[in-house]
Amino acid sequence: MIRIYSLFFSLFLVTSCTNENKENNLEKQNEREYLTLYTHRHYDSDKLIFKRFEETTGIIINVVKASADELIQKMETEGNQSPADLLLTVDAGRLVRAKNKNLLQSANSDILNSTIPMHLKDSSNYWFGLTKRARVIVYNKETVTSSDLADYEDLVNEKWKNKILIRSSNNIYNQSLMASIIANKGIDSAKVWAEGIVNNFARSPKGNDRDQVKAILAKEGDLAIINTYYLGKLINSKDSNEVAAGNAVGIFFPNQENRGTHINVSGIGIAKNSKNKLNAIKFIEYLISEEVQEIFANANYEYPVNKDAKSSKLLESWGEFKEDKLSLTKLGELNKKAVILFDEVKWP
Amino acid sequence: MFLNLKHFKRDFNKWTLLIVAISLFLAIPVFSILISLFRGSGEMWEHITSYFLFDYIKNSTVLIIGTGLLTFIIGTSAAWIVSRYSFRFRKIIEWLLFMPLAIPSYIVAYSYVGLFGNGGTFINIFSNLGITIDRIEMMNIYGLIWVLSFSLYPYVYAGTRTIFQSFPSQLKHTASLLGVSKRKYFFSIALPLASPAIIGGLFLVFMEVLNDYGAAKYYGISTFTTGIFRTWTALEDLQSSIYLSAILVILVFLLVLIVKWLKGRRSYSLKKTNTNQKNKNYRSELKGLKKITYLSIVFVPIIFGFILPLIQLLIWGIQTFDSMFNSDLISLASQSLMLGLSTAMIVVFLALLLIYLSKWNYFKPLNVFSKVATLGYVIPGAIIGVGIIRTSKSLTDLFSFQYDIEIGHLIYNSLLVLIYAYVFRFIAVAFNSIEGNTLKLNENLSESSYLLGYGKIKTFFKIDFPLLKNALLSSFILVLIDVMKELPLTLILKPYDISTLAVRAYEYAEDERVAEAALPALFLIFLIGSMISILNYRLRVNKD
Repeated sequence: MIRIYSLFFSLFLVTSCTNENKENNLEKQNEREYLTLYTHRHYDSDKLIFKRFEETTGIIINVVKASADELIQKMETEGNQSPADLLLTVDAGRLVRAKNKNLLQSANSDILNSTIPMHLKDSSNYWFGLTKRARVIVYNKETVTSSDLADYEDLVNEKWKNKILIRSSNNIYNQSLMASIIANKGIDSAKVWAEGIVNNFARSPKGNDRDQVKAILAKEGDLAIINTYYLGKLINSKDSNEVAAGNAVGIFFPNQENRGTHINVSGIGIAKNSKNKLNAIKFIEYLISEEVQEIFANANYEYPVNKDAKSSKLLESWGEFKEDKLSLTKLGELNKKAVILFDEVKWP
Repeated sequence: MFLNLKHFKRDFNKWTLLIVAISLFLAIPVFSILISLFRGSGEMWEHITSYFLFDYIKNSTVLIIGTGLLTFIIGTSAAWIVSRYSFRFRKIIEWLLFMPLAIPSYIVAYSYVGLFGNGGTFINIFSNLGITIDRIEMMNIYGLIWVLSFSLYPYVYAGTRTIFQSFPSQLKHTASLLGVSKRKYFFSIALPLASPAIIGGLFLVFMEVLNDYGAAKYYGISTFTTGIFRTWTALEDLQSSIYLSAILVILVFLLVLIVKWLKGRRSYSLKKTNTNQKNKNYRSELKGLKKITYLSIVFVPIIFGFILPLIQLLIWGIQTFDSMFNSDLISLASQSLMLGLSTAMIVVFLALLLIYLSKWNYFKPLNVFSKVATLGYVIPGAIIGVGIIRTSKSLTDLFSFQYDIEIGHLIYNSLLVLIYAYVFRFIAVAFNSIEGNTLKLNENLSESSYLLGYGKIKTFFKIDFPLLKNALLSSFILVLIDVMKELPLTLILKPYDISTLAVRAYEYAEDERVAEAALPALFLIFLIGSMISILNYRLRVNKD
């Protein structure tokens, strides 16, 4: 019995301590300025960037991490008392959705306007792309040469039967790729394309982007469609098998002769009910500064949106490529159509 | 119903009011979800039914049947061997058999691919030994059944072992005097007597399987839960995903009905005439071939559920030690523990309250509310999250309209809301196991106490509570473990300055950095492992 009482007592102590902590924090927050960031990004480099921002400006970044959909739902339900100041996602589609749900507000900043290219931000400045990632084809260097490859559209060719590795259609990057094909080629050709890819599957979609590359090394298939930064992470992994997988494949940027390779952005928008708009703009401006953009490129192998920022050595070694200049807003608008199409052609 | 109402005046007492109030408070998220059902299904409903509803039902059914069978076999056989036989290191093995609970299923799923997938640890070892296999394919529905079974069988094992150990030795002696063979003793006497515990354990397994998201998603299997997420996020139709959840809840209700039907009206209180006598000769010694067979039966789940995933996590943990090991981990661990302890305390208290209030309340139809309050275990975490955010929204609206006070900042990032969510989610875990144990208490005990002049509350503290102590402790620890592993609710409801080991591990895994997820996962396993040891130790002390 004594033990149980002591347990109760210690618990009481623990909880009261944490309450005190909370109060202290609240007091601190009242004294200092702060921004509440809802983010889908989980990268360590981000933590470092937020800390530097705090050090230089004194503005504290409160971070809420969850998937973009959950965060959007949260903002929507919380309504005008939502604590969110900013929403940071890993694809443009979700930002478009947030804008359409009237959760964001437009921000006017000369720095943002002049630094971020038109197609990487919202036309009325509701959201801004921060980093780019391209969805590329990687191929087994032993069995395939880059001259065998050309466009996404060619992947439906009979010669790739049982050769293509790609993850499930639950994945947002696949949904965005499909949306870009719908936007460029029309819904009917997009459906034919999707059917062709399903016919050429090396295996039923499973695992994540890294697993597709490992499957190439294990000869489960010859081609995989993945995001660039995952390849960067594989090559720099601490796991020797991942490094071997990363080095076994060549990277190919499709559609260079026509519209360009499909890209997506990790982007940010200011919450409609934010009471700290000026600080929020300051924060976004900081995120596209050369210094931060280079951290994104070096730590996370993402392409900077700021032209003046140097991209990392690895990214440079892959060479320049022509990117699809399709307005990213389209990706958000067509996302649902893309998912419905995936279901219709039975792409799991 | 009308017939019941006639008795309302007679049966109504103060406990009736209390149980309704508490249950309603706990069940607020259920009502918030129920209300939204009346808004009709979403616009994508037809698409869902025509393209993948069938797949969801099929895959979820296969998963339930597969994991049900496998966890039943593993759980009961292991429980039987450790409670019937004595062998060296038995106590350690008993403890090890619980340990798979310490690793979140999705982490087990990842580590199996790390072991047996392309370029996996074991594949490399095999190839060094001159055996070339490309991979052992885990990423399919059978692999998922395997992974989930070996990580969830402890739910069956835990309760079953307790029951097997509580058998008085006369049971066995009487049976053998009457010429019952050992096999028949197991199948015709032991198993039926243990069936409530087995069924209770299986129920928990089913709930975990239905709620699994991470493992199924990674292995590319469409289940109800992955479907709920797809409908919500990709098809942008929250309404239909709430509908899907409702179907899931109905399926679970069917399961519950089947369970009730299986349990029947049998009473399971074993008359212990000489509980004070120690059953010293009860366990038989294992020898020869039988020893090898039985020991390997016990070791299979330990190896596949715990040792193998642990090896892979250790390898990853060592690889990433330099970059990942920091003081953050310690503070995350203490936050996980603090959240778990406070929640588990509240959950056990409320579960007891619900159980005893429904005993003391004589107007039984209203006890259905206490069942509604325990629905949280069934509803996918993310949907509960939606329910709870909506509820907090109503609260903040109330305050701003009535009193013109803005409490959004406090509510939306409050520890209280998170703990409330946990309580709602996990009260079933404590409720079911404590209720099972109160059923085993002989009613005569409390009746005698009433006759001797003690009131209900005094009787509870003097008679029931001491008898239930072990059950309370085990459900306390089970809830603690569940909270420390919990993901969707923690992610969406946690305050900024609080995080948990499970969240940290998830963030890395989500970013496809599984190796980096290993160290937080190992910390989590260590913490949960120590909890299980405490449980094991206390149970043994109380027994001897």
